Amino acid sequence: MILQNLSIKRKLTLITMLTSSMALILSSASFLIYDLVSFRHLLTQDLMTQAEIIGYNSAGAMEFKDEPAATATLSALTAKEDIVTAVLYRPDGKIFAYYFRGSAALPPYLPSRLQGKGYLFERGYLEVFHDVTLNGERVGTLFLQSDMRQWSMRARRYAGILIIFVLVSGLFAFFVSSKLQGLISNPILHLEDTMRMVSANKNYAVRAVKSYGDEIGRLIDGFNTMLAEIQQRDTALQSTNGELKTRTQELEEEIFHRKQTQEELLNAKHAAEEANRAKSTFLANMSHELRTPLNAIIGYSEMLEEETRDSGKIENVQDLRKIQSAGKHLLSLINDVLDLSKIEAGKMVLHLETFEVSQVIEEMVTTLQPAAAKNGNSIHVHLDDNVNMMRADITKVRQILFNLLSNACKFTDHGTVSVNVEQIKVEDRDWIQFQVRDNGIGISAKQKENLFQEFAQADASIARRYGGTGLGLAITHRFVQLMRGHIWVESEVGQGAAFTVRLPAQVVSETADPAPSESAGKVPAVSAETKTNMETILVIDDDPSVRDLMSRFLTRLDFHVVAAANGEEGIRLAKQIHPLLITLDVVMPECDGWTVLNRLKSDSKLAKIPVIMVTVVDNEAMGLDLGASNYLIKPVDRERLAVLVEKHRVSRSSTITDDNPVPLSYVVDRQADGKTARTRVSRTRRN
Amino acid sequence: MQKILLVEDNEMNRDMLSRRLQRRGYCVVTAEDGEKGLSLARSEAPDLILMDISLPVMDGWEVTRLLKANLSTRHIPIIALTAHAMVSDRQKAIEAGCDEYDTKPVDFGRLSEKIENLILEKKLS
Repeated sequence: MILQNLSIKRKLTLITMLTSSMALILSSASFLIYDLVSFRHLLTQDLMTQAEIIGYNSAGAMEFKDEPAATATLSALTAKEDIVTAVLYRPDGKIFAYYFRGSAALPPYLPSRLQGKGYLFERGYLEVFHDVTLNGERVGTLFLQSDMRQWSMRARRYAGILIIFVLVSGLFAFFVSSKLQGLISNPILHLEDTMRMVSANKNYAVRAVKSYGDEIGRLIDGFNTMLAEIQQRDTALQSTNGELKTRTQELEEEIFHRKQTQEELLNAKHAAEEANRAKSTFLANMSHELRTPLNAIIGYSEMLEEETRDSGKIENVQDLRKIQSAGKHLLSLINDVLDLSKIEAGKMVLHLETFEVSQVIEEMVTTLQPAAAKNGNSIHVHLDDNVNMMRADITKVRQILFNLLSNACKFTDHGTVSVNVEQIKVEDRDWIQFQVRDNGIGISAKQKENLFQEFAQADASIARRYGGTGLGLAITHRFVQLMRGHIWVESEVGQGAAFTVRLPAQVVSETADPAPSESAGKVPAVSAETKTNMETILVIDDDPSVRDLMSRFLTRLDFHVVAAANGEEGIRLAKQIHPLLITLDVVMPECDGWTVLNRLKSDSKLAKIPVIMVTVVDNEAMGLDLGASNYLIKPVDRERLAVLVEKHRVSRSSTITDDNPVPLSYVVDRQADGKTARTRVSRTRRN
Repeated sequence: MQKILLVEDNEMNRDMLSRRLQRRGYCVVTAEDGEKGLSLARSEAPDLILMDISLPVMDGWEVTRLLKANLSTRHIPIIALTAHAMVSDRQKAIEAGCDEYDTKPVDFGRLSEKIENLILEKKLS
């Protein structure tokens, strides 16, 4: 609808005008109708009165049939403008006399029949019938006809007045409503303006002005309240934004500072690492510088001892031995310090290999026999029947046992040092547990606190009385940690001490495979190995006939055999297939077996693979020193080879069995031969 | 009589080792630096060389490499002697072509065992 889209101003004006005009027209019309009706009634009464007068005046003339008198009476009607026709009828209905306005001829219309006394409106005319009586007797009928000229003139005049009045009042209404609609439309328009301004300028501080207390006023109030709220939120938002900006800036600054700090830290770290390297180099050099004169001291005293003995001057031999032992002590100190510095520099690397525990125990007991004998101690060994092979750094295991045993011998006088070895299962892992127990002077609770700290001997007086650096247990502790084992001590003063070392049966090198280290206990130590190809043996030999023989022999033992004709190829294949074990020849062109072995053992990923040397070169010490597990001399003893490879297969699948179910103990006999102080360790059945 | 060339810069060690080796019945030739060691190894044709590693003029690694690269001297067994008890030294010694390796101060018993073994091995091959 067009009306609906008109502006509110127009709408208001239109509504006012329409309403007022309608009211005016309705009231004027009703008034007009009333007036015209009553005027017509008046005209009728007047005409009837006229008829009565004329009737009375002409009654005589009618009686006496005096027509001219009657006509004269009727012609008096000329004064009455609106009467157009007057006719006197005789009682028989014939016209007696008549009067017509404007002409003497009869009018075109006359009533068709005479009626009794009364009036009627016929064809725009008012017609009146009147009985003319004389002395109570009807002598004729008078008919009057009026064209109601007065009435129609009045009606026309009234209509003209009405139209003018309506027009004038309409104009007036338009004028007034135009003025008054502002009461409603102005505040609305103002509100609209304000809204537009707010949305255009985003200025929420603007307020609409309230003019009146009506609904629009309340609307404006509501709008203002809304604006205030928006403004408040906007302010809050802006302040939050500002805060956010400030915070972001702060954060950026902080990040910048942190980066700087990080850089500084990194620099400091580099500096520290540099210093640490310098320290290591210094220690290495120092140890070199210290060893060279020591070399001379020990060497000359040994030489002198020999010469002195040969020339028969026995009394000097003891003194020369003291020089030697002091020199050797100094050497062990230097070695300890070097070891410790290597551990601290993180340079101590594990060289893992599989070996027989009993063999190491035998060795260490043999080595320490002189030390035990010095204080009149005896060493007893008990090896549980389930203890067989273990995989660890054999040198470090040796040193651990050496330290514990030499301590036990040192601090015990005419007593017993017992070594107890067993294999146990803790948290689903296999452990080899070594216990060295003595009945010597023991350790107090206070001394235990920093027993494993560097340079912390239980007591300062002990150093004077027993000697030692106080580094032995610290190094032992570090070695045990390096192999992810545990060490603890149980002791009471005067009751002796029991040191227990628990090492994983399968030590996993930190550098080789760091994954299982964190979740210690949960992951079996062999997991890293079980992933690899279990059944493959790599044969490295330049002689094709040897390769062929070995392949055929090992295939018969249900192994998959891969052969390499030279050292380079061997190393490449080892990296590729990670075999269960490797057999290695020494004499090969270009890259010899020693080089291959050395490279295998220095590769952390390959170092774990056991290597069996199969060679004509008789240098077992060298092979084992370089990390070979076993050493076989050609021509190969097949039975021995079969036993060895089977042993590796078994140790890998970690189902260690022992073919001797009876517990064993080692009885150590010291031979009387004082010069070489050799000891014999025999494996005997224990009851 | 087996001839041993001892290349050692430290006078005391050289004197002590050569005297002890002589007591064991070896003929000992000594050199105090790498260059002299190299020329003596060529002129004297010893049965075995004891090679100190940190030497003046030319170090023991270099001498060993040169000797092992030469056809006339490559068969001579070399025992490296070093005061650095580092694993890397052992690797270096083997890589340079040394046949044996020992740390100083030497355990004379162990060293003479190694000497005997190497000389025997050389004879057999």
